Amino acid sequence: MIEVTDLRKSFGPVQAVRGVDFVAPDGRITGLLGPNGAGKSTTLRIISTVLRPGAGTVKVDGVDVASDGNQARLRLGVLPHLSGLYPRLTARENIRYYGELNGLSGLALTRRMDELMELLEIGDFADRPAKGFSQGQKLKVALARAMVHGPRNLVLDEPSNGLDVMATRALRALIRKLRDTGHCVLFSSHVMQEVAALCDSIVIIARGRIVAQGTPDELRRQTGETDLEEAFVKLCGAELAA
Amino acid sequence: MSGSIRKYLVVFFKEAVDNLRDRRTLLTVLVFGPLFGPLFYTVMMGTVINRQVADLDQSYSIAVQGAERAPGLMDYLRQHNLSVAKAPDDPREAVKTGELDVVLIIPAAYPAAFSAGRPAGVQLVFDNSRDSARKNVGRVRAVLDDYAHSLGALRLLGRGVDPRAVAPIVVEDQDVSTPQSRAVLLLGMMPYFLLFAAILGAFYLAIDTTAGERERGSLEPLLITAVARSTLVLGKLSAVSLFSAVSLSIDIAALLWCQRLIPAAKVGISVDFTPANALATLLVCLPFCVFIAGLLSVVASFTKSYKEAQTWLSLIMLVPLIPVLGLVMFPMEPTWWMMLLPSMSQDVLITELIKGEALEPLFVALSVMSTLICGLGLAGLTVWLYSRERILG
Repeated sequence: MIEVTDLRKSFGPVQAVRGVDFVAPDGRITGLLGPNGAGKSTTLRIISTVLRPGAGTVKVDGVDVASDGNQARLRLGVLPHLSGLYPRLTARENIRYYGELNGLSGLALTRRMDELMELLEIGDFADRPAKGFSQGQKLKVALARAMVHGPRNLVLDEPSNGLDVMATRALRALIRKLRDTGHCVLFSSHVMQEVAALCDSIVIIARGRIVAQGTPDELRRQTGETDLEEAFVKLCGAELAA
Repeated sequence: MSGSIRKYLVVFFKEAVDNLRDRRTLLTVLVFGPLFGPLFYTVMMGTVINRQVADLDQSYSIAVQGAERAPGLMDYLRQHNLSVAKAPDDPREAVKTGELDVVLIIPAAYPAAFSAGRPAGVQLVFDNSRDSARKNVGRVRAVLDDYAHSLGALRLLGRGVDPRAVAPIVVEDQDVSTPQSRAVLLLGMMPYFLLFAAILGAFYLAIDTTAGERERGSLEPLLITAVARSTLVLGKLSAVSLFSAVSLSIDIAALLWCQRLIPAAKVGISVDFTPANALATLLVCLPFCVFIAGLLSVVASFTKSYKEAQTWLSLIMLVPLIPVLGLVMFPMEPTWWMMLLPSMSQDVLITELIKGEALEPLFVALSVMSTLICGLGLAGLTVWLYSRERILG
């Protein structure tokens, strides 16, 4: 479970996040939706501990990210916006490196890697250098790498960027599978259709503030629109006009 | 604690293995960095030494015009390993064109003057602007001078005069440079090449582990692992230092081997670069590997891309070489303050080792301490840079 309470963050004079509150519970897919520059990536980066909160708190399974970064990181699997692999290492070596950095070793690590490579269908290219991987293959390895230490909470920053239709479908199936096994999945997107197709609850963010949150149905009801995209535009537009 | 050490080793081995797979890095660390210096040095020194030194064991054929007019002189030349050949019709032209280095002309007036005991003129034709001819010209002139002196002495004796009367002053050459200290002139460039090898060994790794990581987009996921930033940075810096040390070791081994190829003994130089000195050189230079790893990594951490890092490091890598070149141009006696400067202190100590002189223990201790302190300071600075949010750019 990820709990974000009154989160604020400024870069110099720019207020990127201006008071964000939401909860992403276990066993649910929570979508963070907003136009470009709304503060999605900043929020996710604070949750993943690479940025420090300016004010407010983020708790991952009750662990405060600002005061106990290492414990929080062990509970988080993060796929950042830029998630490059080491091109000279094989898929297996890329995943193993992160496993070892997160404190796994020996048989436990090997078992976990086998499990993930089966789940993500990495077997075919497991021992090839990452240099020649397709976008889809890269994403699979990056996901395996993010999940190698078995975190309960997953944070995915625009994971479907650059994927073709088949890879996107596979990704969605995987995210649902993770939800069904009790994981907390938080992912960001600026694509309405994707969020609508996948999420149990949606958090809409614009100009650093939460403008609405709830299930897709609740959002439609709240705005009186039948089309979710219209609802999104209305909600964001209200904030942008304000 | 043991967990941190284990993770430190994980980072260290990953960076080492990863970079061993990069052909450019490997070539630089194993070949270009370490072997350029010794090869350049061997070829240059071999050429210079062979040109400067006349090989007295080798007979030289001197072209003489009018040899039949001076049979005594011809015998003397032959006794001194100079064979007499017939000169071409136009000796001046032959020397001008470079066909011959030197031609001796015995004029028609020589026999009469010689018999009468008057100064008998001979002419030596040579081109003073031609360096390569100089050693043969000098050799012939020395033999002619000897002949003139010994004949003169004989003539004085014949008149009942002590030949020493015409030598009121005797100049004796006393060259105070020992063979080893002369070697220093020749080996002055060696510290430069050694430190250069250490720098090149660290070069690509310092970029790959910092700016390269950022450019590939692998930095952010790496920072989200449960590893302390200091562990991460120290693992990386250790790998950079190791590659620097490997390049340096190969360079020293190559230098040791090259010593045998250089005919240094011919110019009266004994190079005292023994295996023990080579090992001492390596030990004295190891702190420099740590220092250069820190320096290059700090600079590369500020850059956004591989290309940008390459540009900056190409400039920065020259900085440690400035004191080395300074000492080549303005040689100074080693003093304690030189030991406080990384690269300059190694330069001075390597030079002493090549001279075959014993190292001052205080100097070694100062050099090791100051260089390591600078290196660790730079490592600390890198850790701090990586602890900032702005490291992600």
